[in-house]
Amino acid sequence: MTAGGYFGRALVVDVGAGTARTLPLPDELLRAYIGGAGLGAWLMHRLGPPGVDPLAPAAPLAFVFSPLVGTPLTTSAKFAVVAKSPLTGMLNDALSSSQFAIAGKLTGHDAIVMHGACERPSVLLVDAGGARVTDAADLGGLPAAEAETRLRERLGKGWRVAAIGPAGERGVRYATISHDGRHAGRGGLGAVMGAKRIKAIAVRAGTKVASAHPEAVLGAARDLRERSFGPATAKYRELGTLANLLAFNAISTLPTRNFQAATFAEAPRLAAEDLAEMRRVARNSCASCTIGCEHIYSARGGKTMRVEYENVFALGPMCGVSDPDAVLGASARCDELGLDTISAGGTIAWAMECAERGLIDAPWLRFGDADALLRALDEIGERRGLGELLAEGSRRAAERVGGGSAAFAPHVKGMEMPGYEPRTLQAMALGLAVNARGADHNRSGAYEADLSGEHDRLAGGEAHVAAAIETEDRAAAMDSLILCKFLRGVFTDPFTEWAALLSAVTGWDMDGAELRRTARRIVLAKRVFNIREGWQPGDDWLPERLLSEPLQLGSGRVAALTPERLRGMIDGYYAARGLDESGRPDPADLPDLQLDNVVAR
Amino acid sequence: MSGTAGVVLAGGRSSRMGTPKAALEWHGSTLLRRTVGILARVTDGPVVVVRAPGQDLPPLPPATEVVDDPQEGLGPVQGLAAGLAAVADRAEVAFVSSTDMPFLHPAFVRRVLRAAQDGADVGLPVARGYPQPLAASYRVTLAPVAAKLVAEERLRPAFLFEQCAVDRLDEAALRADPVLAALDPGLDSVVNVNEPADYQAARARPAPEVTIQRFGPLADGHRGPEQVLAATVAGAADAAGLALDAHVVAALNGDQITRDGETPLAAGDSVFFLSADAGG
Repeated sequence: MTAGGYFGRALVVDVGAGTARTLPLPDELLRAYIGGAGLGAWLMHRLGPPGVDPLAPAAPLAFVFSPLVGTPLTTSAKFAVVAKSPLTGMLNDALSSSQFAIAGKLTGHDAIVMHGACERPSVLLVDAGGARVTDAADLGGLPAAEAETRLRERLGKGWRVAAIGPAGERGVRYATISHDGRHAGRGGLGAVMGAKRIKAIAVRAGTKVASAHPEAVLGAARDLRERSFGPATAKYRELGTLANLLAFNAISTLPTRNFQAATFAEAPRLAAEDLAEMRRVARNSCASCTIGCEHIYSARGGKTMRVEYENVFALGPMCGVSDPDAVLGASARCDELGLDTISAGGTIAWAMECAERGLIDAPWLRFGDADALLRALDEIGERRGLGELLAEGSRRAAERVGGGSAAFAPHVKGMEMPGYEPRTLQAMALGLAVNARGADHNRSGAYEADLSGEHDRLAGGEAHVAAAIETEDRAAAMDSLILCKFLRGVFTDPFTEWAALLSAVTGWDMDGAELRRTARRIVLAKRVFNIREGWQPGDDWLPERLLSEPLQLGSGRVAALTPERLRGMIDGYYAARGLDESGRPDPADLPDLQLDNVVAR
Repeated sequence: MSGTAGVVLAGGRSSRMGTPKAALEWHGSTLLRRTVGILARVTDGPVVVVRAPGQDLPPLPPATEVVDDPQEGLGPVQGLAAGLAAVADRAEVAFVSSTDMPFLHPAFVRRVLRAAQDGADVGLPVARGYPQPLAASYRVTLAPVAAKLVAEERLRPAFLFEQCAVDRLDEAALRADPVLAALDPGLDSVVNVNEPADYQAARARPAPEVTIQRFGPLADGHRGPEQVLAATVAGAADAAGLALDAHVVAALNGDQITRDGETPLAAGDSVFFLSADAGG
């Protein structure tokens, strides 16, 4: 019998052939991987041909829901989009939120997976009647939000849409998929969808799914709701993630001008504390969320956009741009094109440095030049001019440009780095280096340890290894349950409390220890996938600049992350994870992954 | 500063004070806690407290190491020998301090440590009319030299100085450091408290002037830096109207992150209060 909260099946659609089949998901498997990022990792092992080009028709793209979707638990309306990334060549899972998660799950599936490719631009429709592909010629070239609106008008009531923008249609390697303005942003999943010539996927609920213990779920939901209004979420409710910017600047943690510095003199111009007063026009939340972290700002010209720390860091200090209108305008442009702001900003910052060094012939491209930033975004989105190179991401671009530019290409495994300076957050440095997704702050979360006061953030060592593992395990659990990470501060005994929530929904008798084992299984499954797809030990590393250019802090201390120190932490991570010295798993640990013969290929 | 450690000699009898100086209250903390905290801020290696055998000490940060003098009452050279030996495998030089200098400034510690780091065996301040062997820097290789002096019952620091290269830092040399000159112009770092009247006079002085700033939702209408008087991070939090709880952290001089309210502050410090959740 299928556990509460699940349907026990995935829908696998060949969009080229226009056919669909059901893939059963047994209870034992669901309990081992839960949903979201975890189940997505298993699906990629199961359905992804080894060595497949991420943009090839055979590459699967999965929309994965979770047992908590559709329950009254706050922040539970989330879904994961999972595929092999065209940016990194590794496993990539990106989360998005809101009504699409609920409607998608209530088509009667725990996941919807597409493979194949259409001959013409198309839309995939999934509802209780099944899956079908329809023409989408009129949506071509539209921003995702506009495509979504048009499609919903055409389809009628109850449909929810996730779409790609022009960047995804043109195969920009860091193109996004978005729903209601919320992007499954990192890793280029929009390009995967664009390669299938699927402009959008539309879903409509047609069934229901019950929790095993609805009264317990309701009680937990009330409790969680109360806690979500407390001090643990104050930052998100009151200012949003942009509150990080001025704080990080104050503690030399704000990557600036392609990681040449960790403080930005003009940071106050972009501070949430002031910008919110001048520019904030609204505050929104996802469906089923009581936190309301979405702060909507207006830019000159009337455009509005949701502002997050990562957008502003990547398009602001990372590129040396301080004009709020330019940064907000650039963020809006990324939304229109369907570009990951972190990868766009990181790649452009790298290009700015190349241009200043004479490695790229682009005299118009300079740090601090807002017009140049906007021009670069347009060229990337349209894959013209310099954009043809930059659409490939900083790693591939650096390989083509040469001249030593790889040393300052700000990526790990090809994914551009988020706004957390590794030299001053050395647990985070480890987390970024070893994570399966690449340089991703969310799958690691190790900055929590650096900013806890319990360790010296400039002296990465054993304690930082343990902390990075703990936060990575927690992230794996939250990304699979799925619960929003902005809620994490309300839990005092996370694994035990999360297991209780999951047990109330599913009827499983799961405790915190089992959930922790599940989290570790998910982390390992991702690593095993990457190894299958060509990961090498050298991929768990950081850009040379970060290991050879220390930062002088105002306190007098030097923030230095040497290769030796990083090596020591990575070796410690491998040992603690039960991996061998080269980062590969003990074969005795593989059967637990329930991948059967998939890994043996 | 790399390759550096801190040693605090807390094993003295405090006979003139009449009560153990290490445990004297200091702005919500203790003199010993303050001294340990100041040395921990400046050094990158261990901080060791040397006490008399079986001596009770006030609460200290968990990372603080404690070693015993082999024998009570043999004076500072014995404490020096024990302290330097305790850190010899993990540092090259150490700042050695008594526990009774309530105005010891990090800038002073840095300047004096630099003398030993630059090649001297001892960096010995000569300030306020006296050499200051218990506010000085020592190469850890002097540990066996000091131990031999104790065995020979030659218990004055001067005997040690006869046997090594000493860089005597007079007041002009100390004030030539612009940071020290700005933050501790009177060289109050070497003021010590021996008798109750000394302690009361020192305690009556205002707390040092520091800069605080609140960030993110903690700012709550308070934008930009403010000057307050605070001797500890808890004092600064009080001045900011904040509680140092699970949701708030403090960044000292934009560098060290702490939730420990007893972290000592000195003139010129800045304390930034940030949301503990840095998710973005």
